[in-house]
Amino acid sequence: MFKIIVCIKQVPMVSELPWDSKTGTLKRELAQGMMDPASRRALEAALRIKEDRAGEDQETHITVISMGPEMAREILYEAKALGADNGVLLSDRKMAGADTFLTSFILAEYIKKESPDFDLLLCGSQTSDSETAQVGPQLAGELLIPAMGYVQSIELDDGMVRVQRHVDDFMELLEMDLPGLLTIDQGAYSPRYVALEGIERAFHTDDIRTVNAGDLGLDRDFNALKDSPTRIIDVYSPATRKENQVLKGAVKKVVGQLFDEYGKIISGAMGKDLKTHDHEGAK
Amino acid sequence: MDFMPCYKHQLIRKTVKEFAENEIKPRVSELDRDSEFPFDIIEKMKPLNYFGLQVPGEFGGADLDTISYAIVVEEISRVSAAIGLCVTVHNSVGIYPILKFGTREQQECFIPAMAAGESIGAFCLTEANAGSDAGGVETSAQKIEDEYVINGTKIFVTNGGVCGTILVFAVTEGERDLANVFIVEKERPGFSVGEIEDLCGMRANPVSSLFFEDCRVPVENLLGKSGQGLKIGLAALDAGRIGIAAQALGIAQAAFEDSVSYARERQQFNKPIAKFQTIQNYLADMATRIDASRLLLYRAAAVKDSGKSFSAEASMAKLHCSATARKVTDLAVQIHGGYGYSKEYDVERYFRDAKVTEIYEGTSEIQKMVIARHILNQPS
Repeated sequence: MFKIIVCIKQVPMVSELPWDSKTGTLKRELAQGMMDPASRRALEAALRIKEDRAGEDQETHITVISMGPEMAREILYEAKALGADNGVLLSDRKMAGADTFLTSFILAEYIKKESPDFDLLLCGSQTSDSETAQVGPQLAGELLIPAMGYVQSIELDDGMVRVQRHVDDFMELLEMDLPGLLTIDQGAYSPRYVALEGIERAFHTDDIRTVNAGDLGLDRDFNALKDSPTRIIDVYSPATRKENQVLKGAVKKVVGQLFDEYGKIISGAMGKDLKTHDHEGAK
Repeated sequence: MDFMPCYKHQLIRKTVKEFAENEIKPRVSELDRDSEFPFDIIEKMKPLNYFGLQVPGEFGGADLDTISYAIVVEEISRVSAAIGLCVTVHNSVGIYPILKFGTREQQECFIPAMAAGESIGAFCLTEANAGSDAGGVETSAQKIEDEYVINGTKIFVTNGGVCGTILVFAVTEGERDLANVFIVEKERPGFSVGEIEDLCGMRANPVSSLFFEDCRVPVENLLGKSGQGLKIGLAALDAGRIGIAAQALGIAQAAFEDSVSYARERQQFNKPIAKFQTIQNYLADMATRIDASRLLLYRAAAVKDSGKSFSAEASMAKLHCSATARKVTDLAVQIHGGYGYSKEYDVERYFRDAKVTEIYEGTSEIQKMVIARHILNQPS
């Protein structure tokens, strides 16, 4: 039996997310949740490994783990509908507000306690809501296992894994011993659509386990929000400032004005020194 | 009473929405313009169980409850009412009567291929002289030894151009004229498909006439008991009405969403038209009608799943959802002004697609007859 754990996260559905332009923040409370796109690719990688191995009559078991509020249960059902075998929801008010450091710690505590015999741990390279790309590598650090990021293809080979990833202008082919952790690149493993039959099946058996801070043996006064070393100072959308300036008047006058004011920018864009043209003479 | 959607229904909506937006939406205008049935999209829908929505797992279906079924049809129709029509007709009036009235042998013979989408279902009742008046059906079935010989012409058959398994409403000649429903496979000699209709809306669905000329089927293809035709037809239409109500709701929802975003963007008198009270009134009216329609629809679906008679509830849902679709698409065009009358904008298509939801699967007038009959049949 080859055991895969996939860590998935629920993120706000940004396409439907109201954006408060005055404060520059997302109105998260109004957002619908969805499975983070990179997490979904990590799950897809696990499903393809399972299918390939099933073709050779070899068993594979996929556990999906998510840390989040109760509503994150929905993506665990979705993962089951896609073909995961069971789901775990790490959910507790004490875990709320965890930064990447404590998220990795909590995930590692669960895995050490409940699934220490895993072979492969998969994460998305980075989540669409915070884009830190830190949880995967930090989780490997907590578990003291090897890790590789931004993986595009995986091949299993007797106790190790051979992966490809795109780095700058070349492809890397790497090998790593198992158990180990891989994060799946955002462009790899295009996820499948959920079959409706899978959804009905996912809800037939209630094998999504909820685990709280007490179950993990975390300190009674553990408080992720307070204990997280990361502080978010500000969240803002990068402002792009565009201002249109309309030049009015006779053609001769506005062309002159255009070159006077923007000549340097235009010559820069064209890669030509426009000063060689004597527009001064046109005046 | 819980009005909040459960995780399952939320997930079904997201799943179908994602498929429809990614796979159908980019091509929907072109399919409408060219009256093209999208075989390639249908291929992608097959393995995802869109053709076996409520079929039990043993026959390869998704085994969904009826609210889930309504959500699926609503979300497909929100993007393409014509493909939504294909799905709902296939599942409700194509498959449902065989599941409800068919023998085990008939189910084993026909359902797996239909659930896999390999054989598209059609239901044909309407004829040149028989529509709302089902009693006027002239297509005949004569029993000769162990076969029925079917003769007649059916018109306005949804999925007609692509159907593989057809439920045919016919009158059996004999001592008494009995209404019956026969399962006809498209390969039967004597069966042929007419021209695809040039319709106002639903243009990507190959609606056509079907011809039966000495078309012979074995007696095993009679659905239910002899003489049960009317009962089967009415049961099929009750189920079909939930599907058409869902389709109408999907059209209305799409028209509403487009109107909200257009009203926010369109500037007149130096401000977005959404700032004008008239437009706000329109949007509030649209939203309220849609919400009421959705509640009626899900109620009808829940009653069906409870195993109770859902005929009146289905008629109310269909009556209200189709009226909503027509009203909301009308207002959507109005909000869009001249652009709404142009094929450049989707509301023009919604407007054309909406009208027929008040006509097929029983006209609005027939729905009122059904509802009134239920009221007056109650003990006083």
